[in-house]
Amino acid sequence: MNPRLSICLALYRRLASAYPHEFRMLYGEDLDRLGEDAIPEVWRRYGLPGLLRLLADIAIQLPATYLTEIRQDIVYALRTLAKAPGFAAVAVLTLAIGIGMCSVVLSECQSIDGPPPGVRDPEALATFYWHDGSYPYFERYRDQHQVVENATAFLGAVPFAVGFQANRSAHAERFYGHLVSPEYFTTLGVTPAAGRFFSPETEKPGMPPVVVISDRFWRKHLGADPLAVGRALRLNGAPATIVGIGPKGFLGIWPANAAELFVPLTCAGSLAPELSGDPLHAPDREMFSVVFRLAAGVKLPAAEAALDAVTRHLDRENGIERDRDRKGRVVRLVPAGTMMRMSPEQRSFIDTFDVVLWALVLSLVCANLAGLLLARGSQRRREIAIRLSVGASRPRLVRQFLTESVLLSFAGGLAGIGFAYWMGHAISSVGVPSPTPFEYNFQPSLRVLATTLEIALAAGIGFGLAPALASVRTKIGVTLKQGGQTPLRGYRRFGLRNLFVAGQMTASLMLLLVTWFIVAGFLLNTHLDTGFETANLNLISLDPVRDGYSVEAAASLLIGLPDELSRDSGARAVSLADSVPFASMTTFEPKIRVSAPLSGPKGGQGLHSVGRERIGAGYFATLGVPLLGGREFDRRDLQPREAPETKRAPATPAILNQTAARELFGGEWPLGRRIREGELNYTVVGLTRDVRSGPTSTTTDPTIFLPLTTSVFRGNPAQRATILVRGTPGRDTLGAVRAQLASLHPDLTVFNAHTLQEDLNRINSFVQWDAAIYVILGLFALLLASIGLGGVTAYAVVRRRKEIGIRMALGAGSLQVQGLVMREGTVLVLAGSVLGLGGGFILWRMLAAWSDVLARTFPKYADSSLLFLGAPLVLASLAMLACYLPARRATEIDPVSALREE
Amino acid sequence: MSRDPQGFLPLHNNWFHILLSLVGADQHGYGIMQEVLERTNGTVRLWPATLYGSLKRLISDGLIEESDERPVAELDDARRRYYRLTRLGRTVLDLECERLQAMVRMVQRRRKQEAY
Repeated sequence: MNPRLSICLALYRRLASAYPHEFRMLYGEDLDRLGEDAIPEVWRRYGLPGLLRLLADIAIQLPATYLTEIRQDIVYALRTLAKAPGFAAVAVLTLAIGIGMCSVVLSECQSIDGPPPGVRDPEALATFYWHDGSYPYFERYRDQHQVVENATAFLGAVPFAVGFQANRSAHAERFYGHLVSPEYFTTLGVTPAAGRFFSPETEKPGMPPVVVISDRFWRKHLGADPLAVGRALRLNGAPATIVGIGPKGFLGIWPANAAELFVPLTCAGSLAPELSGDPLHAPDREMFSVVFRLAAGVKLPAAEAALDAVTRHLDRENGIERDRDRKGRVVRLVPAGTMMRMSPEQRSFIDTFDVVLWALVLSLVCANLAGLLLARGSQRRREIAIRLSVGASRPRLVRQFLTESVLLSFAGGLAGIGFAYWMGHAISSVGVPSPTPFEYNFQPSLRVLATTLEIALAAGIGFGLAPALASVRTKIGVTLKQGGQTPLRGYRRFGLRNLFVAGQMTASLMLLLVTWFIVAGFLLNTHLDTGFETANLNLISLDPVRDGYSVEAAASLLIGLPDELSRDSGARAVSLADSVPFASMTTFEPKIRVSAPLSGPKGGQGLHSVGRERIGAGYFATLGVPLLGGREFDRRDLQPREAPETKRAPATPAILNQTAARELFGGEWPLGRRIREGELNYTVVGLTRDVRSGPTSTTTDPTIFLPLTTSVFRGNPAQRATILVRGTPGRDTLGAVRAQLASLHPDLTVFNAHTLQEDLNRINSFVQWDAAIYVILGLFALLLASIGLGGVTAYAVVRRRKEIGIRMALGAGSLQVQGLVMREGTVLVLAGSVLGLGGGFILWRMLAAWSDVLARTFPKYADSSLLFLGAPLVLASLAMLACYLPARRATEIDPVSALREE
Repeated sequence: MSRDPQGFLPLHNNWFHILLSLVGADQHGYGIMQEVLERTNGTVRLWPATLYGSLKRLISDGLIEESDERPVAELDDARRRYYRLTRLGRTVLDLECERLQAMVRMVQRRRKQEAY
């Protein structure tokens, strides 16, 4: 034969042999024979092109034939699932809840430590670990081109009073933004949607103010005006021209604290009180967040070492002393490309916790799905045997089973996405109270959805495969003869099914214990005991400097305001503070380091880190926190001093809380004692009862309260103030105060006017929602474990039908039969419980190490037999109920009919 | 459940040729291929995989079936399968022929009108 024909025939046969089994069974030989006849004839008629055409035809038809079979599989799978709606519903529901939960967890993870939108290559960004830098230092860092490609320094998020009309007295709204060095956008790799961004060439000191606005600001507040670039806004009373609009989704480097406006530091001096006192040339004013884009190929440790050397050099030049860490470093770099600024420890905790939760839920879902499919596969032995005997191939049957499980997974995945959307929307709509913007979005992103669907399909294939392979291992003759039952076989303790169920019990119990633990911790917070009277406490924030007041005028206005307001508004008490205890979940009070003379024979100074709050006269009376000794501040304490708070001046009065007094002076009476903060001297004039520091903390931070004086405002013009108004029950004190403020000072912007109770309610609803997720998770775990165990027991009953029939024929009672069936379930429940308790305990300890609220619940419950016996008992009793139902059905087996099937 | 013959119209070109070659005598795959080739003077060629794909669909749709009748032993090849038209297949083929004839008549009428 012509060698070309031989090659063509060999290729033809090879391709023909790749056709699906069923096609080959019907037409395989025919196809081969036809090829043998046709090839020489085609060669004679058409030559080589004809042979190629013939091979192309068989190659093209090959995938088409497979696709036809897959279509048949899908139609068959849909018909089969429609015949077992209960099974399909349970499987889809299991997957939907599981996958929905996983998506929410993944979205939560992304909304916290995911990459910020709009930023190019966020992995290359780095920042200092909880420490800010001064501008002159930043300028030197920026020039370290061997490790740093680019760097930016910025202040933020800082508030701006924004007026949309040129008229100075027109109403202004408050927005947050960043005061940025010109390299900000270049460093982040962001390109403008319209107009231009800043650069060192265009932004020179003394130039008229310009501003870049975010896309969101442009759409929401400028009505997506196409002529917005070039328009002027009033920022803190000064006109600034819009020069550019940011790309869609971009809200600054850390969008959890969203920035809508970006103003260059070079021209912000005139409009931003934060920049008074020329911090751009003060090496000791470490107030700027510095973000670096590392040079290509440079890793974090290398950059850290280089910047550390630069910092030490600069410190020596400027005579600055700094603490060193364990490695002897004065700076530490951490990745900056996340939704919010966070430490590596926080990040790794969030990741680990979420991954553990994720793995638990997913393994539960998969184990359950696999258990269901296995049990179902064994019920379908007869159908499989018939299909095998009429010529279906085992691979085809495996594919059929896989198609069913992939279809289920797909439906479950889609339902799960719907569930995740609903859940994400519900959680995201509950705002977290915070004085600065704090945004989070738990809506699943496209990436999360893609991952979810991938996981669903992988679960479908992975967990459909084992049952599929197990089911097609049927011996046709035996199965057909026995009518669907397998022959009597010993109980396989470590069979695939039993391992799935034991694993499922373990994971469920771990989830149940952990969710119980978390919910207990959260519920402790739900009944927030603030330590002071929260009813009728109204809060109003003011920022007169940003409304165009001079620093002096602002200070005297704020200090006089409590008296003005308490005269006419009907308020019981009015006071002033720089912040409100307990009003926020997210602010971190500034810590200062103070020293107090140690008592005892050696004397000396002990150094302590304490929180500092600035307050006005009558603060504690307004809050309703009792003083344990001494006095409150009065008007005299708030008067300006000649040389404020220095060594030679009379010491500033200070009030301590109990924790601070205990830390600074041990058990001694603190009144009249001296405290030093660097050069500053304080005398303790009062001692107040502890109140909790915040809703996520059950302890009280040591706090020193200092008077909010005119000189404080003078030293820090960006200082904001909150007015606390204790109203009379039944009267709209907040309304009265607002009206009075509007008539007394019409040019003042009042913002964040609310009651403390509203803050607490918001915190509570947030906490309750979070708790609800965990409750759902716990219930879900219970439900899944019960379904799984019930399914496997039901399967065992079907499998042992004949054995039970024989036993009953020989006189076994229904109790004995039930005991026989339930024994297997009990072993699985016991094994799962022991493993689950151990795993739950380990997870518990991990969580307790993270949060002090959770840690506090730990000792409370650790020795509680209620939880450690209760959780497995609840689970076990549900599981036993799931076993009992099929066991009872076993006693209804008619021995005669069971034996007749033999 | 028998399907509506009208539902198959217009008939796929390959299907039409296969059904036509089974009129009068049962045929095996290669026979069908050859007959179509000769009848169309080599313009229509049914390549092997296309042919068997079509045969499978025609069987599952009930237009043809496998024939039990085989030729005399010395002409028979055990590997070959023979196919024949079913009643439905014949009806569908008749309907398709009528449809084509009607179209040809329509074209002829149109041409005549143009000639005037």
